[in-house]
Amino acid sequence: MDRRKFIRNVSYAGASGMLLSGLPLRSWAMPAALNAAINTSGNDKVLVFIQLHGGNDALNTLIPLDQYNEYYNYRPNIAIPADGSRKYINLDTTLSVENQVGLHPDIIDFKKMYEQGQAAIVQNVGYADMNLSHFRGRDIMFMGGDASDNFASGWMGRFLNEEYPGYPDAYPSAAMPDPVAIEIGNAMSLAFHRNNGIPIGFNVQSPQAFYDLITNVGVDPPIKFPDSHAGDELRYLMEFEKKSNQYAGRLKEVYEQGTNSSVVYPTTYPLNAPASSLNNPLSGQLKLIARLLAGGAKTRVFLCRIGGFDTHGDQVEAYDSTLGKHAALMYHLFSATKAFHDDLNQLGLGEKVLSLTFTEFGRRVYSNASYGTDHGTATPVFLFGNGLVPGVHGSNPDLSDLRGGNLKYAIDYRQIYTSIVNDWFQASSEGLNAAGFNDWMDSRIPLFGNSVGINTGKLNEAISVFPNPASDQIHVQFFSNKQIFINKICIADIRGSTLKVKEILHPVHSFERVSINIQDLPEGNYLILIISGEGSPATHKFVVRR
Amino acid sequence: MASYSLDPHSQLLDEKSAAHLLRRATFGSDIETTKAFAGLSATDAFANLTLQREIPKPPVDPKTSAPWTNPPLQNKAGNENSENDKLFNFFVAWHLDNMRTDGAHLRERMTWFLHSHIPVSIDVVNSNEAIYYQNALYRKYALGNLKLLFKKICIDNAMLRYLDGHTNSRDEPNENFAREMFELYSIGKGPQIAEGNYTNFTEDDIKAATRVLTGFILDKNFENIDQETGIPTGVLKTAFNGGVEIATRHDAGEKIFSAAFGGKVIKPLETSAGFATKEAAMQELDELIEMIFEQKETARFICRKLYRFYVYHEINPDVEHDIIEPLADVFYNNNYEFIPVLSKLLTSKHFFDADNAETADNNIGALIKSPIEIIMGSLRFFNVAFPDKETQLMQFYEDAYSNIIFKEIRQQGMNLYEPFEVAGYPAYHQLPGFNRNWITATNLAYRYQFSDILMNRRGNDNPGILLNILEWVENSGHIENPGDPAEIVTVLTRYLYPIEIVQERSDYFLHTLFLEGLAPATWTSEWNAYKNSDDNTVVKLKLEVLLSAIIQTPEYQLF
Repeated sequence: MDRRKFIRNVSYAGASGMLLSGLPLRSWAMPAALNAAINTSGNDKVLVFIQLHGGNDALNTLIPLDQYNEYYNYRPNIAIPADGSRKYINLDTTLSVENQVGLHPDIIDFKKMYEQGQAAIVQNVGYADMNLSHFRGRDIMFMGGDASDNFASGWMGRFLNEEYPGYPDAYPSAAMPDPVAIEIGNAMSLAFHRNNGIPIGFNVQSPQAFYDLITNVGVDPPIKFPDSHAGDELRYLMEFEKKSNQYAGRLKEVYEQGTNSSVVYPTTYPLNAPASSLNNPLSGQLKLIARLLAGGAKTRVFLCRIGGFDTHGDQVEAYDSTLGKHAALMYHLFSATKAFHDDLNQLGLGEKVLSLTFTEFGRRVYSNASYGTDHGTATPVFLFGNGLVPGVHGSNPDLSDLRGGNLKYAIDYRQIYTSIVNDWFQASSEGLNAAGFNDWMDSRIPLFGNSVGINTGKLNEAISVFPNPASDQIHVQFFSNKQIFINKICIADIRGSTLKVKEILHPVHSFERVSINIQDLPEGNYLILIISGEGSPATHKFVVRR
Repeated sequence: MASYSLDPHSQLLDEKSAAHLLRRATFGSDIETTKAFAGLSATDAFANLTLQREIPKPPVDPKTSAPWTNPPLQNKAGNENSENDKLFNFFVAWHLDNMRTDGAHLRERMTWFLHSHIPVSIDVVNSNEAIYYQNALYRKYALGNLKLLFKKICIDNAMLRYLDGHTNSRDEPNENFAREMFELYSIGKGPQIAEGNYTNFTEDDIKAATRVLTGFILDKNFENIDQETGIPTGVLKTAFNGGVEIATRHDAGEKIFSAAFGGKVIKPLETSAGFATKEAAMQELDELIEMIFEQKETARFICRKLYRFYVYHEINPDVEHDIIEPLADVFYNNNYEFIPVLSKLLTSKHFFDADNAETADNNIGALIKSPIEIIMGSLRFFNVAFPDKETQLMQFYEDAYSNIIFKEIRQQGMNLYEPFEVAGYPAYHQLPGFNRNWITATNLAYRYQFSDILMNRRGNDNPGILLNILEWVENSGHIENPGDPAEIVTVLTRYLYPIEIVQERSDYFLHTLFLEGLAPATWTSEWNAYKNSDDNTVVKLKLEVLLSAIIQTPEYQLF
């Protein structure tokens, strides 16, 4: 804030937006090296993290149809019915029996996204010794750690810190003029904390209001900070003030430049639920994100949050288990994400954005007398976007193999996040290392496998080839909604000479993975060919590097 | 290597120490009180902060000009009263106003500590009476005994509703309260050493405690008054079986706890027809709390909370060893009475930064204010006039609290009585930053902007609260010579900031902002001109600009 204007600013009636100049840059001299360290990260892909606070009841979101009776017997007072006008929706009849899932009747929007190849589910996600505390459970997954870890930083914070060196002093920069990560709302979750200094995430609620606010407050900052804890806190505060000043104008500009498309975002749950559950808490957040992106924001990660999932009681209406609090939340979540991705597609941003859900744990398999469920463990993760390999990864939870009334996990959450960091963001090895996910590379879920379509003209047939670069083995992962008849898989050099052949003597099921040993191949570029009985071979390039 | 000490602070308090103690132990002090406490010993100062006094009268409904919660006269709102959500606002205003008006005393601060430690949400509880009674319970034990409070809070109506205790029954247990009781409110989690084992308690302990806690229900008419507290409480659901009162929803079986609690077994001493008697069920609850508080770790957990509330947000291993551990001893050995442990902490060398010569670890001024400290602290410092609570009730509630203070609290980032999480407002528990969680770009800007609200610089017609800074400078008695601009700047910065500022900073406020580069004599002549006329335009504006500048700084965010 310019000090002369500050003094003369008698009334706010006519206050025009004063641009901030008051920060004495001499106090914050940017080393030349940092100036040069403009981000040149792998790509500009965006991640939207949708936090479902409280622990989502997975079993009423995705009903395991192969165990419907067991499901019903465990929770008769809240089970979604198998018949009648409010029965579950069968997601995909072509899935094998042990993977068939039913959806809550109010999330038809999810089925639509799935059928358009824009959604994926990963089943039974969790981690060893899963922690049943909201705060600890959430923090563990934000940390990217094990149940016993205690990091003061989040994996996103560490990863982004690596990709954007010199934060905060080197930003905004020409290449990254926007906040690197944005947390919608007022919370400061661990997600964007780094090991040192202020978090790399920035809170945003309303860019216009924020701008008006920031441009009318503040004076010159203190020049010297006492050598005490108070001094440490002053420094911390000043970093915030500085970032606010720097981002206020830019965010307003981006917001004004951006618009949403004509897609209508949902506002209200149309059926019965408690009054406080009826309004859609997610639409506004996603709509803002779409608009900022449309306006040119280069922000890489957005975190938004909806609460109310801790349904210890009154998860459903006593007279109809398909209505009530949880139903409304399911409706809000999936109708808003569909609107969001439709909006992004209309805005030409469809290839750029991946969103996924995050919840600290699932809920107990058996219900309680209050028409609710206590804290549980494993839970599915939902992903949305055009860049996904669509389908269902993993199979239904096993209701006969519980631990303390809770589901056992099959996939560690880091198997998903590693895929995001490595395959979606195409992180450098330093970025992956900073995130802390090196150990999970080999077991990462192939969510973004470089999709190769088999020329049979059918939906949902996709093949994923990974890892790339590869060193010892190359895997071909099938995601098919029916059996595919593959003859063989060949590896050729870039001139087309066949080097290896693997015959496939049986029809390939969905989720089958074929692995080929390539240890003897020297480093270089190769082709993999997947040859089926129908149509021309699907080919994909990959690199061997050690 | 740093060393810290809880040894008593032996010097008499100077102004700086007195101000520090008052900032931490109350919601803010005015200059007069700071001066009154200067020259006292730490012990005498503490004694002043904990003098016996009456509990405040309950809130009044403007519609009936009478309280609606105050057994035995009236326990609950009736048809003649305002609506539930309006009554709730009246309660919140009353709670905040207690903080504004309780003077130099620890009780409201400790009441607030208890609320921040064991929170509640109106959304879930949906009963303004229940929340009032819980607040009254906290106030009663604020300088009393934590263990006793705990026994009451387990079956408090608001708590039974908040964490589903009222649906927890022998046939269908609900773990919500038991889990958070262990993890958040009493002993806390230790490292996870095995599946379901958090060192201090296990998942099985949660299940066992859940069973001990079965059988209580809400008393929606607030008719059951606890004999010890005089405050309505939830009750055991009972029936009479041949003359014996039995707890019909209470699990009468054996509850076996883990090695973390020495394998303790809790079971009813007396049963009838397979049910525990009422006395036996109550006795089990008592035993459960005794069991938890018998663990020293409970004392440590609470002491860490107190430390972060009163001293600094970070607890390094030296502080844990030198301060928390002996503090926990005091708390534990005094059977969880608050006064001895607070006395020990607030009269210690450590508290006054007098335990070692190192300044890098000084804690004076190192806490970040919550919105309540920003707002109440400013109001208390300047003794800002409020509409009279007796004669101007509607202005008091609507103009002052509803239109201004509630809105400010929300904008500055606090969801008062509606925390998002059952652990409470993040600043009081969220790793790693604790009170740093008050700061986001938006919150910080609204905290700065509070200066506009305080002095009504936006030209509202009917501001509920208004600081006339000119009037304060002229008549408070704290500026000896208002014609001397340096004195005004010195006094304001010395008492409004918790740390000393360097000369350049002081010069910035005086020469750059206040005098706009002109000589001090220009202010003096403006002041004299004002005194000889009725025209205060210039002096009022300049003083408002100065105070705004002082408030819109990072220094003002600390206490």
